[in-house]
Amino acid sequence: MTIATRDTLPEAGYRDYLHCLAEADEHAAVEVACGLLDAGVPADRVLLELVAPAQAEVGERWARNEWSVAQEHAATHISERVVAAVAAYADVRPTGARIVVACMDGEWHALPARLVAEVLRLRGWQVTFLGASVPAAHLVSYLHRYDAYAVALASALPMRLPHAHRMIEACRRSDVPVLVGGRGFGVDGRWARRLGVAWAANAVAAAELLGDERALRASGPADLAHLADDEYAGLVNRRGELIDGALADLTQRFPATRDHTPAQLDSTVSDLGYILDFLAAALYVDDGSLFTEFIEWLTTILDSRGVPAAAIDVSLAYYTRVLHDFPRAVDHLQRGRAVLPAAGQRSA
Amino acid sequence: MTGADVRDLDPGDGRFSTPSVARVPVRRPTTSRQIAAAPALELPQSQLAADWPEVAEHLREGVVVCGPDGTVRHVSPVAKRLLPDVVVGGTLAAVNHLTSLDSHVRHYGRRLRVRRVALSAGRSCLYVEDVSDSEQRADELAAERAKSAFLAVVGDKLGNPLHPDRAAAAVVRLAVPTLAEVAVLVLAPRSGRARWWRACRAEDETPTVDRGVLAATELPPAITDSLRGVQPHTVDWLVEQAIDAGWLPGVAAHEVAARLVPLPGRDAPAGVLLVARGAGGRYGEDEFDLVRTFAARAGAALTTALLYREQAEVADTLQASLLPVEPAPAPGVQWGTAYRPAQAGLRIGGDFYGSHRLPDGGSVFFLGDVSGKGVEAAVFTGQLRQCLHALHRVEQHPARLLRLLNDALLETTLAHGQGRFATMVLGVVRPHRDGGLGLTLAGGGHLPPLVLRSSGEVEQLPLNGMLVGVVPDPRIGQVSTRLAPGETCLLYSDGVTEARGGRRGEELLGADRLIQALNGCHRMPAPALAERIEQVTCDWLGQRDHDDIAVLALRASGVGGRPQRHLHAVPTLTGPDPQETTAR
Repeated sequence: MTIATRDTLPEAGYRDYLHCLAEADEHAAVEVACGLLDAGVPADRVLLELVAPAQAEVGERWARNEWSVAQEHAATHISERVVAAVAAYADVRPTGARIVVACMDGEWHALPARLVAEVLRLRGWQVTFLGASVPAAHLVSYLHRYDAYAVALASALPMRLPHAHRMIEACRRSDVPVLVGGRGFGVDGRWARRLGVAWAANAVAAAELLGDERALRASGPADLAHLADDEYAGLVNRRGELIDGALADLTQRFPATRDHTPAQLDSTVSDLGYILDFLAAALYVDDGSLFTEFIEWLTTILDSRGVPAAAIDVSLAYYTRVLHDFPRAVDHLQRGRAVLPAAGQRSA
Repeated sequence: MTGADVRDLDPGDGRFSTPSVARVPVRRPTTSRQIAAAPALELPQSQLAADWPEVAEHLREGVVVCGPDGTVRHVSPVAKRLLPDVVVGGTLAAVNHLTSLDSHVRHYGRRLRVRRVALSAGRSCLYVEDVSDSEQRADELAAERAKSAFLAVVGDKLGNPLHPDRAAAAVVRLAVPTLAEVAVLVLAPRSGRARWWRACRAEDETPTVDRGVLAATELPPAITDSLRGVQPHTVDWLVEQAIDAGWLPGVAAHEVAARLVPLPGRDAPAGVLLVARGAGGRYGEDEFDLVRTFAARAGAALTTALLYREQAEVADTLQASLLPVEPAPAPGVQWGTAYRPAQAGLRIGGDFYGSHRLPDGGSVFFLGDVSGKGVEAAVFTGQLRQCLHALHRVEQHPARLLRLLNDALLETTLAHGQGRFATMVLGVVRPHRDGGLGLTLAGGGHLPPLVLRSSGEVEQLPLNGMLVGVVPDPRIGQVSTRLAPGETCLLYSDGVTEARGGRRGEELLGADRLIQALNGCHRMPAPALAERIEQVTCDWLGQRDHDDIAVLALRASGVGGRPQRHLHAVPTLTGPDPQETTAR
C-alpha cells in the first residue's frame, strides 16, 4: 500500500524489526518500534516506513514460499501489536469527525487498513476500525447506529471487486461518502474509477482526501454498461460446473493428479476457483489487465511451490473452450495465456 | 435565374405543388427579370390572387412587408393585432427585439415566433405567430417533469433508512437549489436543545451544509409555533426572525423571500423547514405545493430515522449484554478468540465463550453452542453465562460444575415449558511453575478440543459426554492434560467443521481439513491462531450463509519466558480503540 521509503529510517532498525517478525518475538518487535519513537521519530513514520514495508516483505516471503502461512500470520499478529503500541505511545486526542475504516467482506489482510486507521487517528480524526472481513450488513447497521463522516474501505484482492461494489452501494444508500484503497482497486485506482468511487493511493493521500468533503462526494458515475451482456452473471452461475469440468480435464491430461492428497486436491480446486473469480472480476470491470496481472502473480506463486505453468495453461485452455459463448471472457483468457512463460504454451 | 424558373422549381414544402397553382399561366415578363426570392405574394392576376388577401387574413401567422429602406408597406390584420405598434409607413424599430436576429420575442405579455424572409428587390417579409399557449404548455410540462424528477431523487435519497443526522443533512442538501437558495431544518427540541442543519447554495452544484444547536428558548417564535403544530398561513417578520437566528448571513430583509413548512412526525412535527431565496424569488402557490410535498417526504424519512435510532439503542444495549465477553487476563495464559454470528447484522448468536478468574490464580473457561439461532438463542446464551458466573463461585471442579449447570437449566426448562439445551466444553486451567499449564476439561456433548503440541503434532483430546439441559443426570466426559510452554489448546464450535463450501458449496469443512489447516501453526500466538481458523472457515464458505462460528484458544505463554502482560488488549471486531496497551 505504501511506498517503502525506509532508507530514511536507520537500516539497522528495519533489519532488527524483520528479524523479530521472523522469530515471532512480539516483545522485541515492540521494543524496536518504541526505540524509534523514543529517538524522536514521528509515530506515522514508524507506521508507514517501518511496519508497512516490513509487512510487504512478509507478503513477498510468503509468495516466494520462504515463509509458511503460519509464519505470515504470526508476523502479521505481531505487527498488529506494534501498531497498537505505537498508537498508545502517540495518544492523540481526537478532534475531527468520525471515520469508519473496514476491510471488505472476505478480506483478511487487515494490517494495511489498520495502518490507514492509525495514521488518520494520528491526524486527529475519530476513527473506528471494524477489522478484517466486515460483513456488509454489519457495516450498514453500524452506520445507522453511529453516524460517520465517511467510510474508508480496504481491499487487497481484485477478485472481490463485485462484492466491493455492492458494499460501496450499501454505504452510499446510507448517504455516507465512501473512500477506497488497497491493491484490490488497481495500483493506480483504475477499478475504483470504474466503480465510480473515490480512491486514495496510501494513508497520506487518504487523509488529504478526507479533508475535502466535496472531493469525496464528487466521484464520477459507475461505468458498468458492459454488464448488460450477462457474461459476469453467467460465469458466476456456472462456477461449480466449470471447476468440476476443469478438474476432470486436468486429471485426464496430468494423470499424476489422481495421486494428490486431499489437501493437494483442495488447493487445486481453490486455484481453479480463483482463476474463475478473477476472470469474473475482470468481466465485472471490463479490464483484461486485471486477469493478466493475476495470471502473472499466480505463475510466480505456483512456480515457487513446484507447480508448472503448463498446468495453469491447461486450465485456461479448458475454460476458453467451454466459455466460447462469452467473447469477453475468451479474450481475457487468451491474453492470460499469452503472459504465461513459454514452456506453458506448448502443451495447449 | 428568373421568376419563372423559380416558379417551376418545387421548393419541396408543398406550397406550390397544388394543381391550381400549377395551372396559373406565366405572366408579367417585366417582373420576371427581377430577382425573386419568395414569390408567395406575387400572384396577383389570377383567381388565386383575388382570393389571396382573404386567405392571408385567416392564416395563423401575421405578415408584415417592408420595403428595401425598411419602411413598413403592409401589415396583415393578424400582424396588426400581435404588433399594434407596427404601422404602414413606420419602421420595425417601434417594436423592441424585432430588428434583432432572435426568433422568439416577448411582446405585450405574448410570446411571438418571428420568421424573417427576404423578398425580391430588397424587400423583406416578417411572419409573426403567437405561440404563447403552446409554449406555456411546453413549459408546464417541463416544470412538471422537473418536479417529478426532483421528487424521484428525493425519494431515492430519503427512501433508505438513514442515521437521523444523515437524514437531516440530506433534507437540507436536497432542498438546495431546487426549492431554495438557503434551506434550514430545525429538529424538534430534545431536552431543551434544538439542533439545526443548513444548506446554502454554492457556486457549483453541491451546496455547503453546516449545523448548529440552539436552546429551545432561543428559537425564533415562528419556528416554535410551527413545531407546536400551529401553522399560520403567512408569518410576519419571518425573514427578520431567520436573520436574527443567524441563518441568513449577509442579506437584508427586503432582498429575501422565505417560507416555513412543518415536517410531519408521529404526533407533533418532527421538525420545521425554512426555505429562502433571493430577490425576485417569491414562492408562488405551485412552488409552495412542491415545498409541502417535499416536507411530507422529509418528515417521513426523519420520523423513520428517529424511530430506528430509538429501537437500535434498545437493541444495542441488549446485544451488548449478550455478546461474548473477552476472557479475563490470567497469568501464564494467552487467550485468542474469534466470533462470527450467522446473522451479521444482528452481531449475536447461539455460540458463546468466556472465562472467569479463580481465587487460586487459575481460570475456569468455556465454549459452547445452544440449540436454535438468532435472538432467542442469544438470550439463552446470556442466561447460561450468568448461571456459570454465579455457579463457578461455589463449584470449581469442571465436571461437577457442568452437572450443576445442567440441573439449573433443566429447572428453567421445566418452569418455562420449552426445551432448550446446549453443548459445551468447560475447563479449569492452572499455571505451573515451569510456565506450562494444567488443564482439566469436562465435556457436555461438544466437539472435542484440539491441542497443538510443540512437536507440531495436533492432538484431539478424548472428550465426550451428553447434551447439557436435557436429562437430569447426564454422562459428563472428563479429561486432563498439560500444556508445555508454547503449546495451545483450541476449542471451537460446529460452525467451523460444519461450514459448507468446496466446489458446489455442499461439502463440509470437516475435522480433517481443520487439522490440516493447523499444520505448522504450533508457534502461532493464540489470537493469530483463532483468527486463522476464522479465516480458513470463511474462505471455505466463500460468501455463503453459515452457522454461528466461535473459537477460543489458550496458549501457555511461559512464565519463565517473555511474559505477554504488556499486550493483553485484543482488538475486537467492534470494540473500543485498541489503545489500552500499556507498559512498554
